Order: sequence, then structure tokens, then C-alpha cells
Amino acid sequence: MIKNYIIAHILNGFYKNFIYLIFLFFIINFEKSLSFFSLFKIATPSLISIIIYIFIKKLNLVPSYFILFLVGCINDILMGSNLGTTPVFLILIKFFSEGLLFDNFNKNDRQDWISFTVIFLASFSIVFFINILLNSSLPDFSPVFYYVGTTLIFFPVINLSINFIFFIKRLLKS
Amino acid sequence: MVSGKPSKIKILKGGKNFNLFLVLLCLTLVFLGKLDLVAVRNIKSFFSDFLAPVTYAFNKPVKEIAGVLEDVKSASSLRDENIRLKSELRRIKLLNSKVASQELELFELRELLKVLPKNKNNIVTGRAITAPGGIFANTVLINAGKDYGIKIGQPAISSYGFVGYVVNVGLKTSRVLLTIDINSMIPIYLTESNWPAVAQGQNGDLLIIKFLSSDAKPIDGEVVETSGHGGRLPPGINVGKIFKSFSGTYFVRPAVDFHRLTYISIITNQKKNIANLDGFQGFAPLQKPKKPQVLKGLDSSGTRKIERVED
Repeated sequence: MIKNYIIAHILNGFYKNFIYLIFLFFIINFEKSLSFFSLFKIATPSLISIIIYIFIKKLNLVPSYFILFLVGCINDILMGSNLGTTPVFLILIKFFSEGLLFDNFNKNDRQDWISFTVIFLASFSIVFFINILLNSSLPDFSPVFYYVGTTLIFFPVINLSINFIFFIKRLLKS
Repeated sequence: MVSGKPSKIKILKGGKNFNLFLVLLCLTLVFLGKLDLVAVRNIKSFFSDFLAPVTYAFNKPVKEIAGVLEDVKSASSLRDENIRLKSELRRIKLLNSKVASQELELFELRELLKVLPKNKNNIVTGRAITAPGGIFANTVLINAGKDYGIKIGQPAISSYGFVGYVVNVGLKTSRVLLTIDINSMIPIYLTESNWPAVAQGQNGDLLIIKFLSSDAKPIDGEVVETSGHGGRLPPGINVGKIFKSFSGTYFVRPAVDFHRLTYISIITNQKKNIANLDGFQGFAPLQKPKKPQVLKGLDSSGTRKIERVED
């Protein structure tokens, strides 16, 4: 009986993680394909970091570190960037999002935005520094600023859209 | 594996040690990736081959929507576009008549100088699978690999000019490093001011010019081509135009719009061209001296040879 329970639990965990993997893989592909639009010609916003943050903070769906590692590796292989840099970025996003520092901080949307900004900038700065070390030269800063800017603009849009969906859901229930 | 709920299996629990292990693994991967080991390269190309169709399927709808939006945008400026095209056509017709006479002259001069004839390039064209969007890397995956004879280092071109060169080859896919990538360096030649230099990408829109002589005075808007120095890339491929910034620094603006790349051609016979020099006599100023014809009874200097008759 206990054995069956353990197997069921493992299968459930595997199934959940598989769904996470597929979903995050889809999001990361969608993020990269946004560069086909002339608006995101310079750089595409980091949708994956927004999604991970909202997953953890709002929906209480916590993707495991291993899944984030896998998704990051797949992204690095497909995009041809330095292998290992995207997994570090995703792991840092999760690590900072789960950090106790911000637990009592984000109560409304504005504070949520500030919290995300701090988390995103901290994670990005570390990865950016790693990339500068790897390439041993400074890149053009305009795409970097565009990337950070569009991500921070997109966050409240996605956040409000999710809030709106929840509002409709509650309205329908009542 | 799920760290949200407690699990009975310790390995999959996602403890702190496991997280630390993952971070260390990432840093090891970064280090291994930078070492450019053959095994890592092979693993990368295997996964690229494996995931390419999935990525293509994911990207396709977004690409189509972006295409439709671009069409709608261009439809609003059809009249202006028509006027511009008409004036361009007039200019091209004028140029065409000049080019025809100059081409004939060039051909005759080439014959006269016995310039090494240009070999016809063997070109393989593939479709771009991924978009080159990235602030840390600018590469494109194409759906042609080893099975079409593509090798690492071969140059990639589009109808507008030089795109980059192949950095990784799988069985079915190849990765092209774009000229705008920070790791890309190409030997160039300024066609009007006649100076060689090296153009380096900086993950932005423009290429920075390096190793340009301090005597050089680039002309704003002059065409830049590949110089062919080093023998890896063929000479004469259009790279872009010189662009002078407000600060007075010169950059190269690439001729290719990397975000609209759909088809990329790979020149696959580069090494053959370089190796095929057996029957070549050399350029006119350095031609080999011909063997002097010696008449019977005279030596090479033209004086009479005295033959000793032995008794």
C-alpha cells in the first residue's frame, strides 16, 4: 500500500515537472521568436523571468531548480550562447524570488513591481558580469538597456492581466 | 524533483546541497563551453539536431504573424514606395549601360594580366530555424548540416552580403555565428580609401573597426568588403558601409538585416579554391622566367661552344 503511494507520488511529481518543462520551454521559445517583430529587433524582453516570478509569488507553483537548469541548458544550446549562463540566471531568479527578504514586502502591485525589479536586476547583473568575463570585452550597451527596460515594462502588464483573469474567475464563481 | 511539496525521495527533494551542485554544474558547463571541447561541441550539435524541428514549429506562428504585421505596415506606404522604386529603376538602368562596357574592359584586362580565374562557388542554401535575438549571443541555426558538406569555418552569405561563418555543424543543422556577435572578427577592406582592417561585432547593430592604420581616412558611406586575408573567407563579399558616429568614431553598418534572415547560403568549396593552384603560372609581375632556348652550337649566353673532339 505504502509502495503504491510512493509510486503514485513519484509519477505525480514527474508529470508535474514534465508539464513545467514543456510550458517553460514554450515560453522561452516564444520569447526568442519575438525578435521577428520590428519592435523587439534590438532585444526581446525576458518573459521567462516574469513567468517564474509570478509562478512563485502569485500562483504558488514552484518549478524545481533542476527543471530551470534543464530549460536554461536547452535555451543555451538552441541559441548558441555560452553554455551554463541561462541556467544560472533562471536559478538566481528563483533563489531571489524565494528569498525571505521580499516576503513581507510585496503586498500590492506597485511593491510587487519593485520587488521584481530588484530580483531581476540582481540576477541579470551577475549573469552579465559572467558574460563579460567569458567574452573578455564589453558589449554594446543599447541592447542591454532595451532588454532590461522592456522586461520591467512588461512585468506590470502581465501581472495586471493575470489579476484580471483571477478577477473574472472570481466573478464567475460568485 | 518538485521543491514545492515535500517528497519521500531524498535525491529528488531539491535540498540545498543539490541546488549548490546545480550552480557548480552550471559554472563547470560555462568553463567547458569556453574550452570548446570536441565532445561538448558534438553534444551541442546533437541536441540542436534533435530540438530544431520543435523550435521551428514553435517559432513558425510568431514569424507568420510578424510577417503579416510588416505587410500591413508596408501597405500604408505603398505610394511612397512606388515613387522611390521608380527613381531607383531609372538610376539602375543608367548604371547598367555603364557596367556593360566596363565589364568587357575588365574581362580583357584580366586576360591580359592572366589573373587567376574566379572559381564558381559551390553554395548550399538552408532555412534559418531560430531568430538571432539575444543580448549575449547572435547566432542562427540553419537546417543544413554535414550531409550537405558543410564544415566549420565556411562563410555564410545572403542576397545582401556577408552574414557570418559556420561555428558548429550537426548532421542536419549548422550554427552560423553572425558578424554582429561579440566573438566575430572578420578581415575587411575599405573599397574607396583602400585600407585593410578588422571588423568586430559588439552584440549591437554596428561593427567596430579594429587594426585600422592611423593614416587611414575612411569615407562616410564607403562600401566595406571582405579582404580575404588569412585565407578563411573569400574576398569581395559585401559586408556593409562605413558609418561615422557623432563622436567621430567609424563603424561598419552591416548590409544584411539579421532579423529578417530567412534563407542563408553557405559557400562549401572554399578549401578547394585555395588548394587548386597547381597549374597556376602566377600574376604578371611575378611570372616564372621561361627556360631559354639554346641553339645548337651556342651556350645559354649566346657564345659559341667549343667542342673538344676526343681522339
